[in-house]
Amino acid sequence: MGRYLVRRLAQAALVVVGVVVLTFIVVRLLPGDPAAAYAGPRASPEDLARARELLGLDKPVIAQLGMYMSGLVQGDWGTSLHTRLPVTHDLSIAFPASLELVGTALIFAVLIGIPLGLLAARFFGSPVDGAVRLGSMFAAAFPVFLLALIVQNTFATKLGWFPVAGEYDSKLDSTSPLHLYTNITIVDAFITGNWPIFLSTLHHLILPALVVAAYPIGVVTQMTRAAVSEEASLDHARLERALGFAPGQVLRRFSFRPSLNPILTLLALVFAYSLVNAFLVESIFNWPGLGNYAVASIRSLDTAAVAGVTLIVALAYVIANLLVDIAQTFIDPRVRLS
Amino acid sequence: MRSTRYKTVGALIAVASAASLLAACSGGAVKPSDSSANPSTSTAVSDTFVYAQNLEVVTDWDPATSYSNEGIVMPNVYETLTRYNPATQKVEPLLATAWQQSNGGKTWTFTLRDGVKFHDGAVLDAAMAKASIERTMKLQGGASYIWGAVKTIETPSANTVVFNLSYPAPIDLISSSSYGAYIYDEKAGGTTAFKDFVATGKDGGSGPYTVALWDKGHETEVKLAAFDGYWGGWTGTHYKNVEYRVVPEVTTSWQLLQSGDVSMVGRLNPQIFAEAQNTKGIATSVTSSFQNLLALYNTADGPMKDVRVRKAVRDAIDYNGLVSALKGGVVQANGVVPKGLLGFNQNIVQQQNLEEAKSLLADAGYGPGGNKLSLTMTYAEGDADQQLFATLLTSALQQLGVELKATPLQWNAQWDRAKSADTAKRQDIFVMYWYPDYADAYTWFINMFHSADPPFFNLAYWNNAAADKLIDSLPALTAVTPPLAQAAYTTLQKMIIDQDAVASVLYVQNYQRAYSSTVQNYVDNPAYPNVPFVYNMAPGA
Repeated sequence: MGRYLVRRLAQAALVVVGVVVLTFIVVRLLPGDPAAAYAGPRASPEDLARARELLGLDKPVIAQLGMYMSGLVQGDWGTSLHTRLPVTHDLSIAFPASLELVGTALIFAVLIGIPLGLLAARFFGSPVDGAVRLGSMFAAAFPVFLLALIVQNTFATKLGWFPVAGEYDSKLDSTSPLHLYTNITIVDAFITGNWPIFLSTLHHLILPALVVAAYPIGVVTQMTRAAVSEEASLDHARLERALGFAPGQVLRRFSFRPSLNPILTLLALVFAYSLVNAFLVESIFNWPGLGNYAVASIRSLDTAAVAGVTLIVALAYVIANLLVDIAQTFIDPRVRLS
Repeated sequence: MRSTRYKTVGALIAVASAASLLAACSGGAVKPSDSSANPSTSTAVSDTFVYAQNLEVVTDWDPATSYSNEGIVMPNVYETLTRYNPATQKVEPLLATAWQQSNGGKTWTFTLRDGVKFHDGAVLDAAMAKASIERTMKLQGGASYIWGAVKTIETPSANTVVFNLSYPAPIDLISSSSYGAYIYDEKAGGTTAFKDFVATGKDGGSGPYTVALWDKGHETEVKLAAFDGYWGGWTGTHYKNVEYRVVPEVTTSWQLLQSGDVSMVGRLNPQIFAEAQNTKGIATSVTSSFQNLLALYNTADGPMKDVRVRKAVRDAIDYNGLVSALKGGVVQANGVVPKGLLGFNQNIVQQQNLEEAKSLLADAGYGPGGNKLSLTMTYAEGDADQQLFATLLTSALQQLGVELKATPLQWNAQWDRAKSADTAKRQDIFVMYWYPDYADAYTWFINMFHSADPPFFNLAYWNNAAADKLIDSLPALTAVTPPLAQAAYTTLQKMIIDQDAVASVLYVQNYQRAYSSTVQNYVDNPAYPNVPFVYNMAPGA
């Protein structure tokens, strides 16, 4: 296990470094002068020269990359051109908000997708299976921005059941100030017992999280159905049925656990995908996550900020995959880490 | 099985925990609290004006160097000596109650208002006004260039400030600037340097509102609270709190306005604005701005060096068609200077004339039987209005046998190309917006039409000694003899548009505002783009 972890961490570090280098170079190759973005449209030549020097843009790209990588190692992810604040500070606000949204969406995906997949597998080939398959395909294929607009317009604007946008009611900042520990609002509100903000966040979270969850629910349902059905067709399942176990029992007790491996692997992939897929949803529901920050960073050729967003998404992907690999060894004794 | 379930859930939680740990380690342990928080008085909906803005609100809180989006907040927190009124085309008293110029516009004496307090309780006097302007000049950031004419500032009495200039300039207008002209208490932070003090979301202003909360990165980025000691007083009906919400998506802003979550939206697209005009509970207003779109023609190189080609392109533009296609979002321009500023002349009219354009091209040797003409144009990427102009001009020029290669670029790339040392790489037509930092048309002429080498904003590369001389005379004329300044502006505009065809002014943008019908007394002041002067507004039923 130890050697495996060391090897995986080394591979992960290579992936992350590769992603950062590529992002840095691509953003630097884009036409335009980041100093002009920093100094503003009415900057004088002197202002531009000062900005170039301040941002290190007067040095060769390789030297800039070296300085950036050296800063990364020391925990300095650079300063954002458009917010003028350390990128780590910006990400410490934006990433937890995205995590809150995507985390909730994945909980929905597990709670809805797995039972639906089991249901489809239990009634494999029946109209119930057909309906679940159709529904899950629709959920996975429907454009997320369109779904977000429809859901927002219907359930928030027209019916008024949910807030239109935002993370929580900002008036609560005055009446129930929130103490931050993790920067994940709903978690901080829960652990500090700040129920007005907890309930408000929950209320604001449901619609965007359901929209982000649409794709994960679809694919988790499909994967659960396929994996459990396949497991249920193996010899051990025939034996269990011959021994008198009901079909539902065979699925739940004997076929589901071995099917968890592909589902978990899928969840790790879906997690990273959803972080990026949520950008559009965050924009429509004005969720203060990575989406708005990434768009503003790209528009202003903000290399440090773009690289920061890419780095944190890559790290999340790598960590999630590693954790899933480890989790699989506990779930399925046949899996060995080597 | 049970333990496995726990481990599975644990793995998922671990992902969240790892990221949370990263977040927690990288700063922000305590959410900025609303320093004005007074639950019993500050949260009534009718007392709070909520403004939805599509970009981050604050980049720089320092009134000396601020030069970005925070311009929509600053005039509610800080004040200037004067404020411009576009209806009268004159400046009006604010922190100064009277002023006069002497010495041919090279000396300006301002009398300060009595009883003005800053938010920390300090009382405004001449020394503080002098100190804040001198600090702004010294820092050389943002729009500090507006004080370029100031040689010295004297304070002969506690309420008198005298500006001695090195050349005549309209200091009364300059003092009304939306950037760089604020009077502030630079000692508000005590032992903390003023820049560091304001960088934490505090302020040293004297305006009707004080900064109560700055929560960068969050949806409600800024909250302001009424300053009880405001010199204007709080009798009558006023908003007591102001919130600035960052809502990048226009459709979301519109939904929030309809649901009553925001009081006003800074900008909607034309389609949604049209819907807003017919929506119950929503009020709208349309005001002509000081921002216009110009097409600058390359007078130095390439085919447009020939004035006949420039005039042909100028005459090929369908000015009326562009305005009607943009459905109320813009109005037709009358020359370079927008309405509401000294120098505006409604007799300067631009019209499409394809026959004249064809004739000019033939004279220049292009068209049927002549040489083939191909032009390049750059404009701002993502700007639908400019995209429409590119389409219309491409089509009009096609009728004349001219090919137009119109390229949308990010501003930085567009600007880089225009300033390229290799003149062959520069464009033939450069499209850009311009607006003044203070209510003076001089900015268009000194920046875009005065000769400069290397080029900066003069991207028509025009070099005309007579025009330069006239432009250089504008500040003194504006300060001392405005009617002569008006005549000079007219002469210049005729040179630029008619005689030399240096540029075409395509349209002037309109401000299209949508706000809750409960918002009373809203007036757009184009000298302060997108600024809701909240103190002057009132919450209604």
